[in-house]
Amino acid sequence: MKILNHYQKENITGYLFVLPQLLVFGLFLVYPIFEGIRLSFYQINYQSEKFVGFDNYVTLFNDPIFFKAIFNTVFFVVFIVLLTVLFALFVASSVFDKNAKYVTFIRGSYYIPVMVSMVVMSMVWSFLLNPANGLISYYTRELGLGNINLLGNPYTVMPVIVFVTFATNVGQSIILYIAAMIGVPKDLFEAAEVDGASRFQVIMKILIPSVKPITLYIIITNIIAVLKIFVVIQLLTGGGPNNASVTLMYYLYNNAFKFNQLGIASAVGVIMFIITLILSLPQLRSMLKDK
Amino acid sequence: MKKRFTLSLCLLLCMSLLFVACSSNNNSSSNSSSTNSTSTGGNAAAEAKEKVAIEVWLTPQWKGVVSADEEGADYDSFFKYAAEKFVKQYDKYDATVNVEIVAGDQRDQLLNVKLTGGTPPDIFFESVFAMGDYVHRGAIVPLTDIVDDAAKADIESTYWDAVTFGKEIYFYPFQNNPGTFVYNADMFKAAGLDQYIGDASEIKTWTLDEFQVVLDGLKNNLPKDQYPNASPMGLFAVNNQGDTWNLSYLRMFGNPFFDADGNIVLNDENGIKGAEWMKMLYDNGYTNPGAESVSSNDVNALFANQQVAISFTNPILYSNTLASMESGNTAKFDARIGNIPSASGDPLSFTYITGAALFDTRDEKRMEVAKDFVKFFSTDEELVLSSQNGIPVRSSVVEKVKDTNPLFTAYNENSKYIFNFTGNVPGYSQLREVLYPELQAMYLGQKTPAEAVASYQEKGNAVIQQNKANSVIYQ
Repeated sequence: MKILNHYQKENITGYLFVLPQLLVFGLFLVYPIFEGIRLSFYQINYQSEKFVGFDNYVTLFNDPIFFKAIFNTVFFVVFIVLLTVLFALFVASSVFDKNAKYVTFIRGSYYIPVMVSMVVMSMVWSFLLNPANGLISYYTRELGLGNINLLGNPYTVMPVIVFVTFATNVGQSIILYIAAMIGVPKDLFEAAEVDGASRFQVIMKILIPSVKPITLYIIITNIIAVLKIFVVIQLLTGGGPNNASVTLMYYLYNNAFKFNQLGIASAVGVIMFIITLILSLPQLRSMLKDK
Repeated sequence: MKKRFTLSLCLLLCMSLLFVACSSNNNSSSNSSSTNSTSTGGNAAAEAKEKVAIEVWLTPQWKGVVSADEEGADYDSFFKYAAEKFVKQYDKYDATVNVEIVAGDQRDQLLNVKLTGGTPPDIFFESVFAMGDYVHRGAIVPLTDIVDDAAKADIESTYWDAVTFGKEIYFYPFQNNPGTFVYNADMFKAAGLDQYIGDASEIKTWTLDEFQVVLDGLKNNLPKDQYPNASPMGLFAVNNQGDTWNLSYLRMFGNPFFDADGNIVLNDENGIKGAEWMKMLYDNGYTNPGAESVSSNDVNALFANQQVAISFTNPILYSNTLASMESGNTAKFDARIGNIPSASGDPLSFTYITGAALFDTRDEKRMEVAKDFVKFFSTDEELVLSSQNGIPVRSSVVEKVKDTNPLFTAYNENSKYIFNFTGNVPGYSQLREVLYPELQAMYLGQKTPAEAVASYQEKGNAVIQQNKANSVIYQ
């Protein structure tokens, strides 16, 4: 008796091929998510775990630093993503139709910071910006402008972090945009030229709409990356001054590894997961629509 | 054919699993930094004994067994030597001691991950103040049963008090590193402050008024061509590193900091005066610029580059500073030690006691060997001499080595002023994270000193209460 027909057999072979990946995915991605959700309802110490219901979430929502972390994270997401997309669009649309060697040079120049570790970049910026022995402070003192402490001022610390992160990551988006723009059919530009469209009109009416899927991809990946912003905060400001630059990820790290509040850290993780999920929905929807 | 292939595949899988299992069993003995009786030429009888491997972690303390001049001296040299000596004479088990150095700023992250995974190291050698939280969490077991009367008589009671939580001793004190000021005597001379310079073998004590004269002298009379952009004193508050000095300034006017129940009581007239003094230093340009964004490491570098005249130090840091000058890495100048002044005239003195703690690994045999090893290197007459790299806690060792470093006597005299800066309260590491944001807010003018002190007390006590609820000591 044939229990499985030909198609079912084929399906089983397919499932067996993806089984290792599914197992790894389940073990290292899906399981930690559920474990994180479970832990967010517990108070954990070395000897025991105690179920505390929503207490960890209540603690979070009573902590003003948590709201500060949310505000700062949203600030970073909005400004870093906006700056990255606009600047990458500007650079890519300016150079994509130029001489190939020139395009390669521009791509290479902007991509170098992406290849350098964020830790190294942060340390270089820290060396430049340190108010006591940094290079910028040294020159401002020498020029008689007094001491400048951009990282110690609550009004300048956020823009500085936005700039440092943007400068380090923008190369990736420029590369993607240039590749996408080179792929836009030439006949569209020729038709526009015949119609007498200016370069600005070509960019606005043809180029930007043509690279919309890439824009969406850059926005989503950058949002997710910026939501997890940590290294630059840890190395440049330590969340300061007076928690002015603390982010959700840094807040989570502090609770998990400095305060040993694993339950609270897990609750922050769950909230971050929900935010990321909500922000990723448009991309997911557009992907499903394409199919 | 198909069947044979499947069979071979299964066999191969089983064999690979077996190999993995075997290799994991051998891991501990193949570690390059491990020491066991076989590798050190132990006798044949050891072969018959049960094998027990323990793991010792330490943060960088001193290089070499006794001195950094030894060939191949490193931070783990002492423990490797101690382990070798221990396993040679140990007859209960065939012991292996693996030694691992972990970075100080990675300590809590690594330990928390290990504890969560249920695989803590057996022994951790570190400053007691950084490890107290693990006692409250029930991760460290008492060592009271290995402390005998001879040890109690040899080590001052102030040291035992600092390592006692509740009624039990949780750390075996080995050495201590008292925190003081270090000052550039050359800069003092250049500013005409010769009379305020102490002897090279003395820890100079200034009254608070004298200290103010020193600060004014350094601020106004330091030759600008010789010391451009130099500040009288180092001040830092970017993170929790070096916060003990900041805590000392807050006690400067006599505030006791903790009450008998382990609650913060900083918010009184004297506590606020301490905060106002710090703010006064910052506002009047007595310190390096941007204290809110400067770390203790930065200040240390500023001192080495003669950009600040008075900085913080401890014996290990001080000898590293002198060694750095000696080796030509930094410019040579006359660096001397001074006490943190107080309104009462008595120096403000605190110390980092360093010693071993034993983690609850839930493996009786490993814990037994680990306990024996702690007792061995904390009491062995030869090994305890290594404590002279800091300040020995044992009077017998101080007596033996006092001629090699005249400052030992000075530190010994200071010991009567020592205060326990942690109060052994639960959640001390979390408490440290509360102080520097308040100091930053105060320096930036977002809060007055009184507001910063009140806010610190409120938040700090909330941390203590929260951690008391989870502490095994307070159960």
